Amino acid sequence: MTDKDETILRVVDVTKSFDGIQALEDVSFGVKTGHIKALIGPNGAGKTTLLNAINGILPPDQGHIHFLGHDVVGQTADRIASLGLSRTFQLIRMFTINNATVLDNVMLGAHMRLHPNIFESIFRRGKVDKGEREARERAMELLKFVGLENAHNVVPTALSFGNQRLVELARSLMTDPKMLLLDEPASGLNDTEVDGFTHLLLAIRNMGITILLVEHNMKLVMNIADDIVVLDFGKKLAEGTPQAICANPEVIEAYLGGAQKECVIS
Amino acid sequence: MKRLKQFWWILPFAFIALYPVTLAGGSPYWSGLLIFVGIYVILAVGLDLLMGYTGQISVGHAAYFAIGAYTSGILTAKYGFSPLGAMLIGMILTGAVAWALGRPVLALKEYYLAMATLAFNEIVVALIIGLEWLTGGASGLRDIPPFSLFGFVLANHMHYYYFVWAIVIIVIASSRAVVQSPFGRTLVAIHSDEIAARAFGVDTARYKTRIFVLASIFASMAGSLFTHYMGFLAPDDFGVLTSINILVMLFLGGIGTIYGPILGAFFMKLLPELTYQIHDYELLINGLILIVVLVFMPKGLFGIVTVIRDRIFAKADK
Repeated sequence: MTDKDETILRVVDVTKSFDGIQALEDVSFGVKTGHIKALIGPNGAGKTTLLNAINGILPPDQGHIHFLGHDVVGQTADRIASLGLSRTFQLIRMFTINNATVLDNVMLGAHMRLHPNIFESIFRRGKVDKGEREARERAMELLKFVGLENAHNVVPTALSFGNQRLVELARSLMTDPKMLLLDEPASGLNDTEVDGFTHLLLAIRNMGITILLVEHNMKLVMNIADDIVVLDFGKKLAEGTPQAICANPEVIEAYLGGAQKECVIS
Repeated sequence: MKRLKQFWWILPFAFIALYPVTLAGGSPYWSGLLIFVGIYVILAVGLDLLMGYTGQISVGHAAYFAIGAYTSGILTAKYGFSPLGAMLIGMILTGAVAWALGRPVLALKEYYLAMATLAFNEIVVALIIGLEWLTGGASGLRDIPPFSLFGFVLANHMHYYYFVWAIVIIVIASSRAVVQSPFGRTLVAIHSDEIAARAFGVDTARYKTRIFVLASIFASMAGSLFTHYMGFLAPDDFGVLTSINILVMLFLGGIGTIYGPILGAFFMKLLPELTYQIHDYELLINGLILIVVLVFMPKGLFGIVTVIRDRIFAKADK
Protein backbone atom coordinates (compact mmCIF):
# COMPACT_ATOMS: atom_id res chain seq x y z
CA MET A 1 0.00 0.00 0.00
CA THR A 2 1.08 3.52 -0.66
CA ASP A 3 1.90 5.88 2.15
CA LYS A 4 -1.08 8.01 3.10
CA ASP A 5 1.01 11.15 3.16
CA GLU A 6 2.16 10.72 -0.40
CA THR A 7 0.83 13.27 -2.88
CA ILE A 8 -0.67 11.52 -5.91
CA LEU A 9 -1.58 14.69 -7.80
CA ARG A 10 0.20 18.01 -7.63
CA VAL A 11 -1.04 21.03 -9.55
CA VAL A 12 1.58 23.80 -9.79
CA ASP A 13 0.87 27.35 -11.00
CA VAL A 14 -1.64 26.25 -13.62
CA THR A 15 -2.86 29.04 -15.88
CA LYS A 16 -5.38 28.83 -18.69
CA SER A 17 -7.17 31.52 -20.67
CA PHE A 18 -9.82 31.37 -23.38
CA ASP A 19 -9.83 34.27 -25.83
CA GLY A 20 -8.24 36.60 -23.32
CA ILE A 21 -10.52 35.54 -20.46
CA GLN A 22 -8.48 34.22 -17.59
CA ALA A 23 -10.12 30.91 -16.63
CA LEU A 24 -7.35 29.75 -14.30
CA GLU A 25 -4.57 31.84 -12.80
CA ASP A 26 -1.60 30.33 -10.98
CA VAL A 27 -3.63 27.60 -9.29
CA SER A 28 -1.59 25.27 -7.07
CA PHE A 29 -2.64 22.49 -4.75
CA GLY A 30 -1.99 18.84 -4.03
CA VAL A 31 -4.14 15.77 -3.47
CA LYS A 32 -2.88 13.16 -1.03
CA THR A 33 -3.06 9.51 -1.95
CA GLY A 34 -6.21 7.90 -0.60
CA HIS A 35 -7.95 11.17 0.20
CA ILE A 36 -11.20 12.62 -1.03
CA LYS A 37 -10.46 16.21 -1.93
CA ALA A 38 -13.31 18.53 -2.81
CA LEU A 39 -12.97 21.35 -5.31
CA ILE A 40 -15.66 23.96 -4.74
CA GLY A 41 -16.47 27.45 -5.90
CA PRO A 42 -19.14 29.49 -7.68
CA ASN A 43 -20.21 28.68 -11.24
CA GLY A 44 -17.59 29.87 -13.69
CA ALA A 45 -14.80 29.68 -11.13
CA GLY A 46 -12.79 27.33 -13.38
CA LYS A 47 -13.47 23.98 -11.71
CA THR A 48 -14.32 22.03 -14.89
CA THR A 49 -11.51 23.83 -16.76
CA LEU A 50 -9.12 22.57 -14.10
CA LEU A 51 -10.37 18.98 -14.42
CA ASN A 52 -10.02 19.22 -18.23
CA ALA A 53 -6.45 20.46 -17.77
CA ILE A 54 -5.61 17.62 -15.39
CA ASN A 55 -6.93 14.83 -17.61
CA GLY A 56 -5.46 16.34 -20.77
CA ILE A 57 -8.61 17.28 -22.71
CA LEU A 58 -7.65 20.98 -22.70
CA PRO A 59 -4.03 21.35 -21.56
CA PRO A 60 -3.13 24.44 -19.54
CA ASP A 61 -1.22 27.38 -21.05
CA GLN A 62 1.31 27.37 -18.24
CA GLY A 63 2.16 25.41 -15.15
CA HIS A 64 2.81 21.81 -14.25
CA ILE A 65 0.60 18.91 -13.27
CA HIS A 66 2.31 15.94 -11.67
CA PHE A 67 0.35 12.71 -11.48
CA LEU A 68 2.14 9.80 -9.80
CA GLY A 69 5.42 11.56 -10.48
CA HIS A 70 4.80 12.09 -14.22
CA ASP A 71 4.49 15.62 -15.59
CA VAL A 72 1.32 15.15 -17.59
CA VAL A 73 1.07 18.61 -19.17
CA GLY A 74 1.33 18.10 -22.92
CA GLN A 75 0.43 14.41 -22.69
CA THR A 76 -2.66 13.27 -24.55
CA ALA A 77 -5.83 12.42 -22.63
CA ASP A 78 -5.58 8.72 -23.54
CA ARG A 79 -2.01 8.56 -22.27
CA ILE A 80 -2.99 10.24 -18.99
CA ALA A 81 -5.90 7.80 -18.66
CA SER A 82 -3.46 4.92 -19.07
CA LEU A 83 -1.48 6.20 -16.06
CA GLY A 84 -4.55 5.46 -13.93
CA LEU A 85 -6.54 8.69 -13.97
CA SER A 86 -10.22 8.41 -14.85
CA ARG A 87 -13.11 10.81 -14.69
CA THR A 88 -16.81 11.48 -15.03
CA PHE A 89 -18.34 14.45 -16.80
CA GLN A 90 -20.54 17.30 -15.61
CA LEU A 91 -22.56 17.03 -18.81
CA ILE A 92 -23.04 13.29 -19.06
CA ARG A 93 -21.17 11.71 -21.95
CA MET A 94 -22.61 8.31 -22.81
CA PHE A 95 -21.79 6.18 -25.82
CA THR A 96 -25.10 5.83 -27.61
CA ILE A 97 -24.42 4.98 -31.27
CA ASN A 98 -25.73 1.64 -32.60
CA ASN A 99 -27.94 1.15 -29.52
CA ALA A 100 -24.95 0.76 -27.21
CA THR A 101 -26.25 -0.49 -23.85
CA VAL A 102 -25.35 0.41 -20.30
CA LEU A 103 -23.19 -2.72 -20.20
CA ASP A 104 -21.41 -1.70 -23.44
CA ASN A 105 -20.67 1.67 -21.87
CA VAL A 106 -19.19 0.15 -18.73
CA MET A 107 -17.24 -2.41 -20.75
CA LEU A 108 -15.55 0.35 -22.71
CA GLY A 109 -13.72 0.99 -19.47
CA ALA A 110 -11.85 -2.26 -20.18
CA HIS A 111 -10.36 -0.77 -23.35
CA MET A 112 -6.92 -0.24 -21.85
CA ARG A 113 -6.83 -3.78 -20.49
CA LEU A 114 -8.03 -5.48 -23.69
CA HIS A 115 -6.01 -3.41 -26.19
CA PRO A 116 -8.27 -4.56 -29.02
CA ASN A 117 -6.80 -4.88 -32.49
CA ILE A 118 -8.14 -5.98 -35.84
CA PHE A 119 -5.92 -9.02 -36.25
CA GLU A 120 -6.96 -10.60 -32.95
CA SER A 121 -10.62 -9.71 -33.51
CA ILE A 122 -10.60 -11.83 -36.67
CA PHE A 123 -8.01 -14.54 -36.09
CA ARG A 124 -7.80 -15.02 -32.33
CA ARG A 125 -11.44 -15.22 -31.29
CA GLY A 126 -10.69 -17.55 -28.39
CA LYS A 127 -8.47 -14.97 -26.72
CA VAL A 128 -10.82 -12.09 -27.55
CA ASP A 129 -13.89 -13.94 -26.25
CA LYS A 130 -12.11 -14.86 -23.04
CA GLY A 131 -11.16 -11.22 -22.46
CA GLU A 132 -14.75 -10.23 -23.19
CA ARG A 133 -16.17 -12.74 -20.72
CA GLU A 134 -13.88 -11.47 -17.96
CA ALA A 135 -14.66 -7.85 -18.81
CA ARG A 136 -18.40 -8.61 -18.78
CA GLU A 137 -18.17 -10.24 -15.34
CA ARG A 138 -16.24 -7.31 -13.95
CA ALA A 139 -18.67 -4.83 -15.55
CA MET A 140 -21.64 -6.66 -14.01
CA GLU A 141 -19.93 -6.56 -10.60
CA LEU A 142 -19.47 -2.81 -10.93
CA LEU A 143 -23.05 -2.29 -12.08
CA LYS A 144 -24.13 -4.23 -9.02
CA PHE A 145 -21.87 -2.03 -6.90
CA VAL A 146 -23.67 1.09 -8.13
CA GLY A 147 -27.05 -0.66 -7.96
CA LEU A 148 -27.81 -0.88 -11.67
CA GLU A 149 -27.28 -4.56 -12.43
CA ASN A 150 -30.87 -4.86 -13.67
CA ALA A 151 -30.39 -2.02 -16.14
CA HIS A 152 -27.39 -3.53 -17.93
CA ASN A 153 -29.27 -4.24 -21.13
CA VAL A 154 -31.04 -0.91 -21.64
CA VAL A 155 -29.76 2.10 -23.55
CA PRO A 156 -28.30 4.63 -21.11
CA THR A 157 -30.53 7.46 -22.28
CA ALA A 158 -33.53 5.51 -20.94
CA LEU A 159 -32.15 6.03 -17.41
CA SER A 160 -32.58 9.08 -15.17
CA PHE A 161 -29.70 11.56 -15.06
CA GLY A 162 -28.82 10.33 -11.60
CA ASN A 163 -28.55 6.76 -12.85
CA GLN A 164 -26.58 7.82 -15.92
CA ARG A 165 -24.09 9.41 -13.54
CA LEU A 166 -23.82 6.08 -11.77
CA VAL A 167 -23.15 4.37 -15.12
CA GLU A 168 -20.36 6.91 -15.69
CA LEU A 169 -18.98 6.07 -12.27
CA ALA A 170 -19.04 2.32 -13.00
CA ARG A 171 -17.39 2.94 -16.38
CA SER A 172 -14.59 4.90 -14.70
CA LEU A 173 -14.09 2.21 -12.05
CA MET A 174 -13.86 -0.34 -14.88
CA THR A 175 -10.50 1.21 -15.84
CA ASP A 176 -9.04 0.21 -12.42
CA PRO A 177 -8.09 3.82 -11.75
CA LYS A 178 -5.71 5.05 -9.11
CA MET A 179 -7.52 8.37 -9.04
CA LEU A 180 -10.97 9.59 -10.06
CA LEU A 181 -11.99 13.09 -11.06
CA LEU A 182 -15.73 13.49 -10.47
CA ASP A 183 -17.41 16.55 -11.99
CA GLU A 184 -20.61 17.35 -10.03
CA PRO A 185 -21.62 13.69 -9.70
CA ALA A 186 -24.47 14.44 -7.28
CA SER A 187 -26.22 17.13 -9.31
CA GLY A 188 -29.73 16.05 -10.14
CA LEU A 189 -29.85 13.50 -7.32
CA ASN A 190 -32.54 13.69 -4.65
CA ASP A 191 -31.68 13.54 -0.93
CA THR A 192 -32.03 9.76 -0.65
CA GLU A 193 -29.88 9.27 -3.74
CA VAL A 194 -27.25 11.63 -2.33
CA ASP A 195 -27.07 9.50 0.82
CA GLY A 196 -26.56 6.36 -1.29
CA PHE A 197 -23.98 8.16 -3.36
CA THR A 198 -22.10 9.27 -0.25
CA HIS A 199 -21.71 5.64 0.76
CA LEU A 200 -20.50 4.73 -2.74
CA LEU A 201 -17.79 7.39 -2.61
CA LEU A 202 -16.63 6.24 0.80
CA ALA A 203 -16.53 2.64 -0.47
CA ILE A 204 -14.46 3.78 -3.45
CA ARG A 205 -12.04 5.54 -1.12
CA ASN A 206 -11.80 2.32 0.88
CA MET A 207 -10.69 0.56 -2.30
CA GLY A 208 -7.65 2.85 -2.17
CA ILE A 209 -8.80 5.12 -5.00
CA THR A 210 -8.10 8.82 -4.54
CA ILE A 211 -10.94 11.18 -5.47
CA LEU A 212 -10.97 14.79 -6.59
CA LEU A 213 -14.60 15.87 -6.33
CA VAL A 214 -16.17 18.94 -7.88
CA GLU A 215 -19.48 19.39 -6.11
CA HIS A 216 -22.01 22.06 -5.11
CA ASN A 217 -23.84 19.89 -2.60
CA MET A 218 -22.14 21.17 0.57
CA LYS A 219 -23.75 18.54 2.76
CA LEU A 220 -22.11 15.82 0.67
CA VAL A 221 -18.80 17.67 0.60
CA MET A 222 -18.77 18.24 4.35
CA ASN A 223 -19.57 14.61 5.06
CA ILE A 224 -16.84 13.01 3.02
CA ALA A 225 -14.09 15.44 2.06
CA ASP A 226 -10.74 15.10 3.82
CA ASP A 227 -9.89 18.56 2.67
CA ILE A 228 -11.21 21.25 0.36
CA VAL A 229 -9.79 23.70 -2.15
CA VAL A 230 -11.89 26.72 -3.13
CA LEU A 231 -11.66 28.45 -6.51
CA ASP A 232 -13.07 31.86 -7.31
CA PHE A 233 -12.64 33.67 -10.63
CA GLY A 234 -9.91 31.25 -11.65
CA LYS A 235 -7.82 31.79 -8.53
CA LYS A 236 -7.35 29.68 -5.46
CA LEU A 237 -9.25 31.39 -2.68
CA ALA A 238 -8.60 28.97 0.15
CA GLU A 239 -7.51 25.46 0.98
CA GLY A 240 -7.91 23.46 4.15
CA THR A 241 -10.02 21.13 6.24
CA PRO A 242 -13.82 21.33 5.95
CA GLN A 243 -13.99 23.06 9.34
CA ALA A 244 -11.44 25.69 8.35
CA ILE A 245 -13.16 26.34 5.00
CA CYS A 246 -16.53 26.75 6.71
CA ALA A 247 -15.11 29.31 9.06
CA ASN A 248 -13.21 31.22 6.38
CA PRO A 249 -14.85 34.65 5.93
CA GLU A 250 -13.58 35.01 2.35
CA VAL A 251 -15.14 31.71 1.36
CA ILE A 252 -18.42 32.63 3.04
CA GLU A 253 -18.41 35.94 1.20
CA ALA A 254 -17.61 34.49 -2.23
CA TYR A 255 -19.41 31.20 -2.24
CA LEU A 256 -21.07 29.76 0.79
CA GLY A 257 -23.26 32.71 1.68
CA GLY A 258 -26.48 31.40 3.14
CA ALA A 259 -25.33 27.83 2.58
CA GLN A 260 -23.00 28.20 5.52
CA LYS A 261 -25.59 26.50 7.70
CA GLU A 262 -24.98 23.32 5.66
CA CYS A 263 -21.41 23.42 6.87
CA VAL A 264 -22.21 20.93 9.57
CA ILE A 265 -20.52 17.59 9.74
CA SER A 266 -23.28 15.13 10.49
CA MET B 1 -36.72 -21.43 -32.76
CA LYS B 2 -34.32 -19.10 -31.03
CA ARG B 3 -31.42 -21.06 -32.42
CA LEU B 4 -32.92 -20.78 -35.87
CA LYS B 5 -33.27 -17.03 -35.45
CA GLN B 6 -29.54 -16.70 -34.97
CA PHE B 7 -28.91 -18.32 -38.31
CA TRP B 8 -31.53 -16.58 -40.44
CA TRP B 9 -28.75 -14.81 -42.33
CA ILE B 10 -27.81 -18.14 -43.90
CA LEU B 11 -30.75 -17.63 -46.28
CA PRO B 12 -29.09 -15.03 -48.51
CA PHE B 13 -25.87 -17.02 -48.57
CA ALA B 14 -27.81 -20.12 -49.58
CA PHE B 15 -29.30 -18.06 -52.37
CA ILE B 16 -25.83 -17.01 -53.49
CA ALA B 17 -24.58 -20.59 -53.46
CA LEU B 18 -27.64 -22.00 -55.22
CA TYR B 19 -28.12 -19.14 -57.63
CA PRO B 20 -26.79 -21.02 -60.69
CA VAL B 21 -29.53 -23.65 -60.34
CA THR B 22 -32.26 -21.08 -59.75
CA LEU B 23 -34.05 -18.38 -61.71
CA ALA B 24 -31.61 -17.21 -64.26
CA GLY B 25 -29.82 -20.55 -64.34
CA GLY B 26 -26.41 -18.92 -64.44
CA SER B 27 -26.82 -16.84 -67.57
CA PRO B 28 -23.72 -14.73 -68.28
CA TYR B 29 -25.82 -11.58 -68.06
CA TRP B 30 -27.14 -12.26 -64.57
CA SER B 31 -23.90 -13.68 -63.22
CA GLY B 32 -22.09 -10.62 -64.53
CA LEU B 33 -24.54 -8.43 -62.71
CA LEU B 34 -24.14 -10.41 -59.51
CA ILE B 35 -20.35 -10.19 -59.79
CA PHE B 36 -20.72 -6.39 -59.85
CA VAL B 37 -23.09 -6.56 -56.89
CA GLY B 38 -20.47 -8.57 -54.98
CA ILE B 39 -17.73 -6.07 -55.80
CA TYR B 40 -19.90 -3.20 -54.58
CA VAL B 41 -20.84 -5.12 -51.44
CA ILE B 42 -17.12 -5.29 -50.56
CA LEU B 43 -16.77 -1.53 -51.11
CA ALA B 44 -19.90 -0.64 -49.13
CA VAL B 45 -19.16 -2.98 -46.20
CA GLY B 46 -15.71 -1.40 -45.83
CA LEU B 47 -17.24 2.06 -45.89
CA ASP B 48 -19.77 0.91 -43.28
CA LEU B 49 -16.89 0.10 -40.89
CA LEU B 50 -15.54 3.60 -41.39
CA MET B 51 -18.82 5.55 -41.45
CA GLY B 52 -21.48 3.43 -39.77
CA TYR B 53 -19.33 2.31 -36.86
CA THR B 54 -16.55 4.88 -36.51
CA GLY B 55 -18.53 7.90 -37.72
CA GLN B 56 -15.88 9.12 -40.17
CA ILE B 57 -17.34 10.31 -43.46
CA SER B 58 -15.59 9.47 -46.73
CA VAL B 59 -16.74 10.89 -50.04
CA GLY B 60 -13.73 9.44 -51.81
CA HIS B 61 -13.86 5.72 -51.25
CA ALA B 62 -13.50 5.09 -55.01
CA ALA B 63 -9.91 6.35 -54.72
CA TYR B 64 -8.85 3.14 -52.93
CA PHE B 65 -10.96 1.10 -55.34
CA ALA B 66 -8.92 2.78 -58.11
CA ILE B 67 -5.52 2.15 -56.53
CA GLY B 68 -6.32 -1.57 -56.19
CA ALA B 69 -7.76 -1.78 -59.69
CA TYR B 70 -4.88 0.00 -61.39
CA THR B 71 -2.18 -1.80 -59.39
CA SER B 72 -3.67 -5.13 -60.45
CA GLY B 73 -4.26 -3.95 -64.02
CA ILE B 74 -0.79 -2.48 -64.55
CA LEU B 75 1.16 -5.29 -62.88
CA THR B 76 -0.66 -8.08 -64.74
CA ALA B 77 -1.09 -6.43 -68.16
CA LYS B 78 2.32 -4.75 -68.41
CA TYR B 79 4.65 -6.63 -66.11
CA GLY B 80 3.32 -10.15 -66.20
CA PHE B 81 2.56 -10.51 -62.48
CA SER B 82 0.15 -13.21 -61.39
CA PRO B 83 -3.30 -11.75 -60.60
CA LEU B 84 -3.19 -13.05 -57.02
CA GLY B 85 0.27 -11.53 -56.44
CA ALA B 86 -0.80 -8.25 -58.01
CA MET B 87 -3.92 -8.21 -55.84
CA LEU B 88 -1.84 -8.67 -52.67
CA ILE B 89 0.58 -5.94 -53.77
CA GLY B 90 -2.42 -3.69 -54.43
CA MET B 91 -3.75 -4.35 -50.92
CA ILE B 92 -0.38 -3.53 -49.35
CA LEU B 93 0.03 -0.39 -51.46
CA THR B 94 -3.51 0.84 -50.78
CA GLY B 95 -3.15 0.06 -47.08
CA ALA B 96 0.12 2.03 -46.99
CA VAL B 97 -1.46 5.02 -48.74
CA ALA B 98 -4.43 4.94 -46.35
CA TRP B 99 -2.12 4.65 -43.36
CA ALA B 100 -0.04 7.65 -44.48
CA LEU B 101 -3.19 9.70 -45.18
CA GLY B 102 -5.08 8.52 -42.12
CA ARG B 103 -3.56 10.59 -39.32
CA PRO B 104 -3.63 14.01 -41.02
CA VAL B 105 -6.94 13.50 -42.84
CA LEU B 106 -8.89 11.83 -40.04
CA ALA B 107 -7.88 14.64 -37.67
CA LEU B 108 -10.41 16.67 -39.68
CA LYS B 109 -14.09 16.56 -38.84
CA GLU B 110 -17.37 16.50 -40.71
CA TYR B 111 -17.45 18.84 -43.75
CA TYR B 112 -13.68 19.26 -43.73
CA LEU B 113 -13.19 15.50 -43.70
CA ALA B 114 -15.74 15.14 -46.51
CA MET B 115 -13.91 17.76 -48.59
CA ALA B 116 -10.48 16.21 -47.96
CA THR B 117 -11.62 12.71 -48.95
CA LEU B 118 -13.39 14.07 -52.00
CA ALA B 119 -10.26 15.99 -53.00
CA PHE B 120 -8.16 12.84 -52.67
CA ASN B 121 -10.55 11.02 -55.00
CA GLU B 122 -10.10 13.81 -57.57
CA ILE B 123 -6.32 13.70 -57.18
CA VAL B 124 -6.26 9.96 -57.85
CA VAL B 125 -8.41 10.36 -60.98
CA ALA B 126 -6.19 13.24 -62.16
CA LEU B 127 -3.11 11.06 -61.63
CA ILE B 128 -4.65 8.19 -63.60
CA ILE B 129 -5.36 10.55 -66.49
CA GLY B 130 -2.00 12.31 -66.20
CA LEU B 131 0.29 9.27 -65.90
CA GLU B 132 -0.65 8.04 -69.35
CA TRP B 133 2.57 6.01 -69.89
CA LEU B 134 1.65 3.93 -66.85
CA THR B 135 -2.13 3.88 -66.67
CA GLY B 136 -3.19 4.37 -70.26
CA GLY B 137 -4.66 7.74 -69.28
CA ALA B 138 -8.14 8.73 -70.41
CA SER B 139 -8.16 6.19 -73.22
CA GLY B 140 -7.83 3.36 -70.73
CA LEU B 141 -5.70 0.36 -69.81
CA ARG B 142 -6.16 -2.70 -72.05
CA ASP B 143 -5.30 -6.37 -72.27
CA ILE B 144 -5.80 -7.22 -68.60
CA PRO B 145 -5.87 -11.00 -68.25
CA PRO B 146 -8.66 -12.84 -66.40
CA PHE B 147 -8.06 -13.85 -62.81
CA SER B 148 -6.16 -17.07 -62.27
CA LEU B 149 -5.47 -19.00 -59.09
CA PHE B 150 -2.37 -21.21 -59.04
CA GLY B 151 -2.55 -21.77 -62.79
CA PHE B 152 -6.31 -22.27 -62.90
CA VAL B 153 -7.80 -19.51 -65.06
CA LEU B 154 -11.18 -18.22 -63.87
CA ALA B 155 -12.30 -17.35 -67.38
CA ASN B 156 -15.71 -18.95 -66.94
CA HIS B 157 -18.13 -16.40 -65.50
CA MET B 158 -19.58 -18.96 -63.04
CA HIS B 159 -16.13 -19.67 -61.62
CA TYR B 160 -15.51 -15.98 -61.19
CA TYR B 161 -18.94 -15.53 -59.66
CA TYR B 162 -18.10 -18.06 -56.92
CA PHE B 163 -14.64 -16.58 -56.43
CA VAL B 164 -15.97 -13.04 -55.96
CA TRP B 165 -18.71 -14.14 -53.58
CA ALA B 166 -16.27 -16.25 -51.57
CA ILE B 167 -14.28 -13.06 -51.01
CA VAL B 168 -17.47 -11.15 -50.23
CA ILE B 169 -18.28 -13.68 -47.51
CA ILE B 170 -14.74 -13.46 -46.09
CA VAL B 171 -15.03 -9.66 -46.01
CA ILE B 172 -18.43 -9.79 -44.30
CA ALA B 173 -17.31 -12.41 -41.78
CA SER B 174 -14.17 -10.40 -40.95
CA SER B 175 -16.18 -7.22 -40.61
CA ARG B 176 -18.69 -8.89 -38.29
CA ALA B 177 -15.80 -10.25 -36.23
CA VAL B 178 -14.29 -6.78 -35.95
CA VAL B 179 -17.50 -5.00 -34.93
CA GLN B 180 -18.57 -7.76 -32.52
CA SER B 181 -15.45 -7.41 -30.42
CA PRO B 182 -13.92 -4.88 -28.07
CA PHE B 183 -12.50 -3.25 -31.20
CA GLY B 184 -16.05 -2.59 -32.45
CA ARG B 185 -17.04 -1.17 -29.07
CA THR B 186 -14.08 1.21 -29.26
CA LEU B 187 -15.15 2.33 -32.75
CA VAL B 188 -18.68 3.03 -31.49
CA ALA B 189 -17.23 5.01 -28.59
CA ILE B 190 -15.22 7.15 -31.03
CA HIS B 191 -18.36 7.66 -33.12
CA SER B 192 -20.43 8.65 -30.07
CA ASP B 193 -18.02 10.98 -28.32
CA GLU B 194 -14.34 11.33 -29.16
CA ILE B 195 -13.48 13.32 -26.04
CA ALA B 196 -15.04 10.74 -23.73
CA ALA B 197 -13.36 7.93 -25.68
CA ARG B 198 -9.97 9.59 -25.18
CA ALA B 199 -10.67 9.98 -21.47
CA PHE B 200 -11.00 6.19 -21.33
CA GLY B 201 -7.63 5.60 -22.90
CA VAL B 202 -8.62 5.34 -26.57
CA ASP B 203 -5.94 6.70 -28.88
CA THR B 204 -8.63 7.90 -31.28
CA ALA B 205 -6.28 8.86 -34.11
CA ARG B 206 -4.73 5.40 -34.10
CA TYR B 207 -8.07 3.57 -34.08
CA LYS B 208 -9.57 5.74 -36.80
CA THR B 209 -6.50 5.15 -38.93
CA ARG B 210 -6.62 1.39 -38.39
CA ILE B 211 -10.23 1.04 -39.53
CA PHE B 212 -9.56 3.42 -42.43
CA VAL B 213 -6.71 1.14 -43.53
CA LEU B 214 -8.95 -1.94 -43.31
CA ALA B 215 -11.74 -0.28 -45.31
CA SER B 216 -9.19 0.81 -47.93
CA ILE B 217 -7.73 -2.69 -48.20
CA PHE B 218 -11.24 -4.05 -48.79
CA ALA B 219 -11.75 -1.41 -51.49
CA SER B 220 -8.44 -2.41 -53.07
CA MET B 221 -9.55 -6.07 -53.21
CA ALA B 222 -12.79 -4.97 -54.85
CA GLY B 223 -10.71 -2.99 -57.37
CA SER B 224 -8.59 -6.02 -58.26
CA LEU B 225 -11.69 -8.19 -58.71
CA PHE B 226 -13.25 -5.49 -60.89
CA THR B 227 -10.13 -5.17 -63.05
CA HIS B 228 -9.91 -8.84 -63.97
CA TYR B 229 -13.60 -9.12 -64.68
CA MET B 230 -13.61 -6.08 -66.98
CA GLY B 231 -10.29 -6.73 -68.71
CA PHE B 232 -10.17 -2.99 -69.35
CA LEU B 233 -9.88 0.04 -67.06
CA ALA B 234 -10.88 3.65 -67.60
CA PRO B 235 -10.77 6.52 -65.10
CA ASP B 236 -14.55 7.13 -65.43
CA ASP B 237 -15.29 4.15 -63.21
CA PHE B 238 -13.39 5.63 -60.26
CA GLY B 239 -14.69 9.19 -59.99
CA VAL B 240 -16.54 10.90 -57.18
CA LEU B 241 -19.83 9.64 -58.68
CA THR B 242 -18.74 6.09 -57.86
CA SER B 243 -17.88 7.17 -54.31
CA ILE B 244 -21.32 8.70 -53.97
CA ASN B 245 -22.95 5.55 -55.33
CA ILE B 246 -21.20 3.53 -52.62
CA LEU B 247 -22.49 6.00 -50.03
CA VAL B 248 -26.01 5.68 -51.41
CA MET B 249 -25.82 1.87 -51.19
CA LEU B 250 -24.71 2.20 -47.60
CA PHE B 251 -27.53 4.53 -46.55
CA LEU B 252 -30.12 2.71 -48.62
CA GLY B 253 -29.18 -0.65 -47.16
CA GLY B 254 -28.84 0.53 -43.58
CA ILE B 255 -25.75 2.14 -42.10
CA GLY B 256 -23.98 0.54 -39.13
CA THR B 257 -25.27 -2.97 -39.80
CA ILE B 258 -22.68 -4.67 -42.09
CA TYR B 259 -25.54 -6.66 -43.70
CA GLY B 260 -27.39 -3.56 -44.86
CA PRO B 261 -24.86 -2.64 -47.56
CA ILE B 262 -25.46 -6.05 -49.19
CA LEU B 263 -29.10 -5.12 -49.72
CA GLY B 264 -28.11 -1.62 -50.78
CA ALA B 265 -25.69 -2.93 -53.41
CA PHE B 266 -28.26 -5.42 -54.75
CA PHE B 267 -30.87 -2.72 -54.94
CA MET B 268 -28.68 -0.10 -56.61
CA LYS B 269 -27.27 -2.54 -59.16
CA LEU B 270 -30.53 -4.32 -59.99
CA LEU B 271 -32.77 -1.26 -60.06
CA PRO B 272 -31.42 0.03 -63.40
CA GLU B 273 -32.13 -3.41 -64.88
CA LEU B 274 -35.76 -3.08 -63.87
CA THR B 275 -36.12 0.49 -65.07
CA TYR B 276 -34.06 0.30 -68.25
CA GLN B 277 -37.05 1.06 -70.49
CA ILE B 278 -37.26 4.44 -68.84
CA HIS B 279 -33.51 4.88 -68.83
CA ASP B 280 -33.74 8.64 -69.22
CA TYR B 281 -35.35 8.90 -65.79
CA GLU B 282 -32.96 6.53 -64.03
CA LEU B 283 -31.22 9.21 -61.94
CA LEU B 284 -34.56 10.75 -61.04
CA ILE B 285 -35.96 7.42 -59.88
CA ASN B 286 -32.81 6.58 -57.92
CA GLY B 287 -32.93 9.97 -56.25
CA LEU B 288 -36.61 9.64 -55.34
CA ILE B 289 -36.10 6.16 -53.88
CA LEU B 290 -33.18 7.42 -51.82
CA ILE B 291 -35.20 10.33 -50.45
CA VAL B 292 -38.13 8.05 -49.57
CA VAL B 293 -35.83 5.59 -47.81
CA LEU B 294 -33.94 8.25 -45.86
CA VAL B 295 -37.11 10.05 -44.76
CA PHE B 296 -39.30 7.08 -43.91
CA MET B 297 -36.81 4.31 -43.17
CA PRO B 298 -33.76 5.74 -41.44
CA LYS B 299 -32.48 2.23 -40.80
CA GLY B 300 -32.64 1.46 -44.50
CA LEU B 301 -33.71 -1.74 -46.19
CA PHE B 302 -32.04 -3.82 -43.50
CA GLY B 303 -34.30 -2.14 -40.94
CA ILE B 304 -37.33 -3.45 -42.85
CA VAL B 305 -35.81 -6.93 -43.04
CA THR B 306 -35.25 -7.03 -39.28
CA VAL B 307 -38.82 -5.90 -38.62
CA ILE B 308 -40.18 -8.67 -40.89
CA ARG B 309 -37.80 -11.22 -39.38
CA ASP B 310 -38.81 -10.30 -35.83
CA ARG B 311 -42.52 -10.55 -36.76
CA ILE B 312 -42.09 -13.99 -38.28
CA PHE B 313 -40.13 -15.30 -35.33
CA ALA B 314 -42.41 -13.60 -32.80
CA LYS B 315 -45.35 -15.52 -34.30
CA ALA B 316 -43.38 -18.73 -34.47
CA ASP B 317 -42.33 -18.38 -30.82
CA LYS B 318 -45.99 -18.36 -29.74
